[in-house]
Amino acid sequence: MKVKTSAGLADIIGKQKVIDKAQVLDRYSRDNSFTPSMRPRLVVQPRNADDVQKIVMWANQTRTPLVPVSSGEPHFRGDTVPSVPEAVIVDLHRMNKIIRIDRRNRMVVIEPGVTYTQVQPALAEQGLRLSMPLLPRQSKSVLASLLEREPRLEPKYSYTLPEPLRCLEVVWGNGEIQRTGEAGGYYPTLEQQWKMGLAQVFSGGPGQVDYYRLVSGAQGSMGIATWASVKCEILPGVHRFFLIPSDDLKDLIECAYRLLRVRLGDEFLVLNSVNLAAILSREADGIRALRDKVAPWVLIMGIAGRDLFPEERVDFQEKDTRDIVQQFALKLLPAVSGVRGGQVMSTILNPSSVPYWKLAYKGGCQDIFFMTTLDKIPEFVNTVFAGANALQYPVSDIGTYLQPQHQGTSCHCEFNLPYDPGNKIEVGRVRELLQTCSEALIKQGAYFSRPYGIWADMVYNRDAANKEMIKTVKGIFDPNNVLNPGKLCF
Amino acid sequence: MALEDYRDDCTDCSRCSYCKWIPLDHIKSAKFARACPSIEYCGFQAYSLAGRLSVGLSLLEGRIGYNDNLKDIVWKCQLDGACDVSDKVCRYNIRGLEVMREMRFKLVEDGQTLPQHKPYIDSLRKEKNMMMKPGVNRGKWADGLDVKNLAEDKAAVVFHAGCRYSYDRGLQKTARAAVTLLRNAGVDIGIMGEEESCCGGRAYQWGYRKDLNAFARKNAQAWTDAGVKTVVTPCAECYYTFKRLYPEIGFTFEVVHVSEYIDRLIRKGKIKLRKNVPLTVTYHDPCHLGRLGEPYVPWQGTKQKIYGQIPVWKPSRPRYTGARGVYDAPRNVLKSIPGLTLVEMERIREYAWCCGVGGGVLEAYPEFAAWTASERLAEAKATGAEAIVSACPWCENNFADTVKTQDERIKVYDVIDLIHMAL
Amino acid sequence: MALSRDAYRALGDIVGPGYISEDPAVMDSYAYQWLAETVRPNHSKFMPRPEAALLPASTKEVQAIVRTCNKYKIKFKAYSTGWYFYGAPFSEGVIQMDMRRMDHIVEIDEKNMVAVIEPYVIAGVLQAEVMKRGLNCTVTGAGASCSTLVGATCYHGSGGTSIYTGELRENLLGAEWVMPNGEILRTGSVGSGCGWFCAEGPGPSMRGIVRGALGARGGLGVYTKCAVKLSPWPGPTEFPIEGTVPAYRSPLPKNFRAYTVAFKDWGSLFEAYYRLYDNEICYYAHRQWTMLGADLGPAFWMLYQDPTKSLDDIQEFVRKREVKELTEEMRRSFQLVLVGMSQRDIAYKEKVLDRILEETGGWKVKKWLEPEMEQFSLLYLLRLGRKNLNFVYTGGWVGNFMQSGTPDFVKKYEPIAEDATEEYQEKGLLVDCGSDSMMGCVGSIGGGGQCGLEQFGFYDVADKASTAAAVEWMKHCIQEEARRNIPPGKEGMYLAVGKTHAELQRDLAKQPLTHTWQRKIKQALDPNNLGDRMYPTLDEK
Repeated sequence: MKVKTSAGLADIIGKQKVIDKAQVLDRYSRDNSFTPSMRPRLVVQPRNADDVQKIVMWANQTRTPLVPVSSGEPHFRGDTVPSVPEAVIVDLHRMNKIIRIDRRNRMVVIEPGVTYTQVQPALAEQGLRLSMPLLPRQSKSVLASLLEREPRLEPKYSYTLPEPLRCLEVVWGNGEIQRTGEAGGYYPTLEQQWKMGLAQVFSGGPGQVDYYRLVSGAQGSMGIATWASVKCEILPGVHRFFLIPSDDLKDLIECAYRLLRVRLGDEFLVLNSVNLAAILSREADGIRALRDKVAPWVLIMGIAGRDLFPEERVDFQEKDTRDIVQQFALKLLPAVSGVRGGQVMSTILNPSSVPYWKLAYKGGCQDIFFMTTLDKIPEFVNTVFAGANALQYPVSDIGTYLQPQHQGTSCHCEFNLPYDPGNKIEVGRVRELLQTCSEALIKQGAYFSRPYGIWADMVYNRDAANKEMIKTVKGIFDPNNVLNPGKLCF
Repeated sequence: MALEDYRDDCTDCSRCSYCKWIPLDHIKSAKFARACPSIEYCGFQAYSLAGRLSVGLSLLEGRIGYNDNLKDIVWKCQLDGACDVSDKVCRYNIRGLEVMREMRFKLVEDGQTLPQHKPYIDSLRKEKNMMMKPGVNRGKWADGLDVKNLAEDKAAVVFHAGCRYSYDRGLQKTARAAVTLLRNAGVDIGIMGEEESCCGGRAYQWGYRKDLNAFARKNAQAWTDAGVKTVVTPCAECYYTFKRLYPEIGFTFEVVHVSEYIDRLIRKGKIKLRKNVPLTVTYHDPCHLGRLGEPYVPWQGTKQKIYGQIPVWKPSRPRYTGARGVYDAPRNVLKSIPGLTLVEMERIREYAWCCGVGGGVLEAYPEFAAWTASERLAEAKATGAEAIVSACPWCENNFADTVKTQDERIKVYDVIDLIHMAL
Repeated sequence: MALSRDAYRALGDIVGPGYISEDPAVMDSYAYQWLAETVRPNHSKFMPRPEAALLPASTKEVQAIVRTCNKYKIKFKAYSTGWYFYGAPFSEGVIQMDMRRMDHIVEIDEKNMVAVIEPYVIAGVLQAEVMKRGLNCTVTGAGASCSTLVGATCYHGSGGTSIYTGELRENLLGAEWVMPNGEILRTGSVGSGCGWFCAEGPGPSMRGIVRGALGARGGLGVYTKCAVKLSPWPGPTEFPIEGTVPAYRSPLPKNFRAYTVAFKDWGSLFEAYYRLYDNEICYYAHRQWTMLGADLGPAFWMLYQDPTKSLDDIQEFVRKREVKELTEEMRRSFQLVLVGMSQRDIAYKEKVLDRILEETGGWKVKKWLEPEMEQFSLLYLLRLGRKNLNFVYTGGWVGNFMQSGTPDFVKKYEPIAEDATEEYQEKGLLVDCGSDSMMGCVGSIGGGGQCGLEQFGFYDVADKASTAAAVEWMKHCIQEEARRNIPPGKEGMYLAVGKTHAELQRDLAKQPLTHTWQRKIKQALDPNNLGDRMYPTLDEK
């Protein structure tokens, strides 16, 4: 594809898709993280893959940095804030078509602007649903969430960590467009593939590289995905939620191990009382009241019956679960301290209400999250709580979210640190807590697999070989470093 | 037969490596999953059954010639047949063990012998034993024993002690105990004394095919002259030779291992075990009594193809899979001993690990033989047993020597020794 | 082209004198490979002879060997268990690394269901060790004798239990990779010193370079360790085994059930695949018994149960009335193992299976319900320790087709596979075992959704005319696939080994971007071009 070098972006893709209003640019110059603000030069809103490819080619020819953005505000990780001046924001939210829902193969193909709010009802009509991260904001792009490797609620369906993401169409940093996985095989178009009964199910390849993994976790620095195929689950016919409260995290973890070992539970996560309160209440007083009422740790477990004999399936799995839970002197309960399983279910099977649940308590929130194994989590909790105490940050405000992943072989561990963004002392304290705790956790063996912001240096300084390899790969797929420069290690 | 007759077997190898492992269904641990001492000790692919099949094909195709490395590949192997058992779980048409033996025959016939074997073969031809001892001393193990000498007498049953029992002073008591036991049980038994000859089986396994014939003729004639109907031997290698190789040459006697005979007598109530033997033991299946100890089935046939391309033999060729070896008799005997507890190793019966002695390895590569034994002793110790019991003097001798040199703490017995203790 | 003495000495110094050889007989044992006969002149069983063979014992040694190879510009190829020609040198001037000394199970993390293994840990051994801890691993379709690391990093990784235990590609939780430039990459969490639990990241996941749909098949460095996800095993700590060699069987507890389920036609069979995906009841689901042909297979499986019988007796079995009936009853069939994590679970799964069979008009084949047959199925299918029975007829087979996809897609090429094979069987060029000698996973990835059928053609490997016919059949299949707009199957990958560079380039040009990326990756990681075409690249124009 040829792009006239002399042409401005508006000439190439149409001026209605290019925005340079200061007010708009300001919105993209900062987010809810501590990432330094940087005003972009333009915002461009492509409508299709062809637009995206033209933009990337133009950027290569003009050496213009591009920052891809799929989700709507608020942003939290700093990855959508330019790190260098004169960047162009590639805002993909108008590419929001649900391209195809395939009930038989349980696949959906979506563009990057499609949100959970949009896709779940459409899928439900076909008897399907997507597994979700915990309460994504309503504007959250499904594709971005998957590429960010946000943990899903159902570890048993996570046969590989990037699940349920399967195939992508990617415009690489050098402007080449490629379909990954099965979609990049013998039949060049999606239509031909569908005609042959294929459904972009297999994520590997094409050939001897898993391309979609190179794009995942890259914060938009390798390529821009223009559609993705995603595996769906059958919409449960019967779905019940249960709570297993515990005063002792270690006991709960032992119990969780046993349940994961037999793949019991569909949704399966642990929240501390702060986060349980935060997801269920909509304002600070309610959060505080509920937080003080429920047990410190609660394992939330959804049991779903799908397709044949759903009621029976839920019944026997409930009984099996109860048998196991009892062995740990814990209880599988339909409700805890007035919190009903059904209430939890209706909350976490949907995107967050507005304001975003993490902001409801104090208006601001910083997260520390990483991967580890369940058995190590109590040590990390101690580290964070000790760090908070040292800085006089109230431990009682720290939210904790544990999400077993990849069928229980690993666990996402997240600490949420709410604060009042208008209170400079609190801001400073949280900023320091974020820095010191992250360093301490990394030293302790926490794996920051998604190294946003300040974590990138900490992580790559510990793994020179991976850093070198990432730079090599970046050099191949984005040789002019036009995609989100300044993030990660380039 | 000649190596050329096995060209198809060499070509048919699927290089799947089953020959390196015990039958995969039986694997219980990483530690005791291997079947073939040769590849484990030597490392290179050529030292496996698959490797040797490819070397055989390479020889047939003239891709390689003779050198010392080739001899090493051909002889650094106990020919214990474990590979063959594992292989035949899937590969009905491959005769792996036969190919490996045929390679030895070919090398010997082409004058490419292993120097380490030469003194033994020379001595065998002169002194009629594999122990490099004077032939005239062969009957001394039975001095003073009240038993018929069939060189001068007649009996229905001959007790063939074999070379090692005849000459190994440490083991002679076992042979004596066996004869006494049988005689006391009323068996009409005799020995050949000084006239007993080597069975010829070890020379055959080393590649000296013709020597077997000579010894087979001599032994068969002596037994016939003495009116023998049944040959009883306490040696697994002799057992294999009489049971499997002699009939192929045309000599058919009833061949019974002493453990089988004792098992029969116990069941008939002719041997009564009264004394407590408070030992926990594990039983080592000698290769030549177990998987190689299947009876010979006469057969002649031709190859043809059915269903387009399946090569088969008409009439059906017998399959030696290890299924019909002698496994239960020695175990039955052990289980009948009061106070004794039998515990099993992971690799038993048709997929037992070799003691290390066979195929001329003890004589040519003593360190390899000792290593193989030490692997087995480790397996035995892992069962918690105080003793390893076998039914072959070669196994016992190698185990005992290895225990001694490696300062192992496990006892070594023959089944007969334990019976003797229980009388 | 012998190695220079300097190079040989340098390599020998790394591994020690007992672990290097250049003896011709030893080299030929490495050159000998199954399938060589399909691509080598005069159908030779030998691939090019390596210049030397080495037995490294550690990552450090492997790295030193690779660095030495870079210094002296020597091509190298590593293999683990070494089954078939991909593992062998493709040209003169290559040294072979035989990884058999790297055979340790480094760690089994029972709680987190992770095993860390070296290259020569075969699936049968890993399974035996993890079973002791109530866990299981994916045994690939190649069977228990094959390296689990290879399935995870170097080649395919699907097996009969993949629908439940995952494909090894999915299960890979980290790899240690000596790249062809001699540098070591440890992917994911282990690279950050955090342990072996996650292969992804940090940041963009270089796990994607480690392998794709396929691994580099020895063409791009050496994998020296990897971690794999394990799965639940609610059974005994070891298989209880009964039966006489070779008809071993395992009487597992009642929460294990094995079935051969059959259908009146292909449409119903594939419909059942979909229903099984949606209902998540399978622990093992695979077309296995049909690999020996729908016409002849049942006779063989019955023969196999009788240790006194040999392959020579197969006609006798074919003639038996009950075998004839069985052959018809299981003509369109596959195997299932249901495993209950509890008694309630198995009862539920049985009920769901019955309903699925009712809906699809399928049935449980009666013969395989007999206790001893079920016990045979359980052991055979779950350990997959007798997979090489696919060699039983002739010592040679080639597996064509096996393009993976949805059942609806696979259904489209199934008749092509039968048509393309029938003629060769009828003429007696391949074993006439029935035009459906197709095996393959019901669900080749975790949770199902994808399957494949591999059509076996059995040729007499000792008969060059038969081998030549098999090669013709492979080419014929490719033509038929092209004619019917189906991509080439595995036969295309096999024949590629024997193609000239120009022929190969023409093929690779059909997917230019993929093979251009691979060239760029190879140029970056293998600057001295020491790997081979198993990592194919499109030449720069």
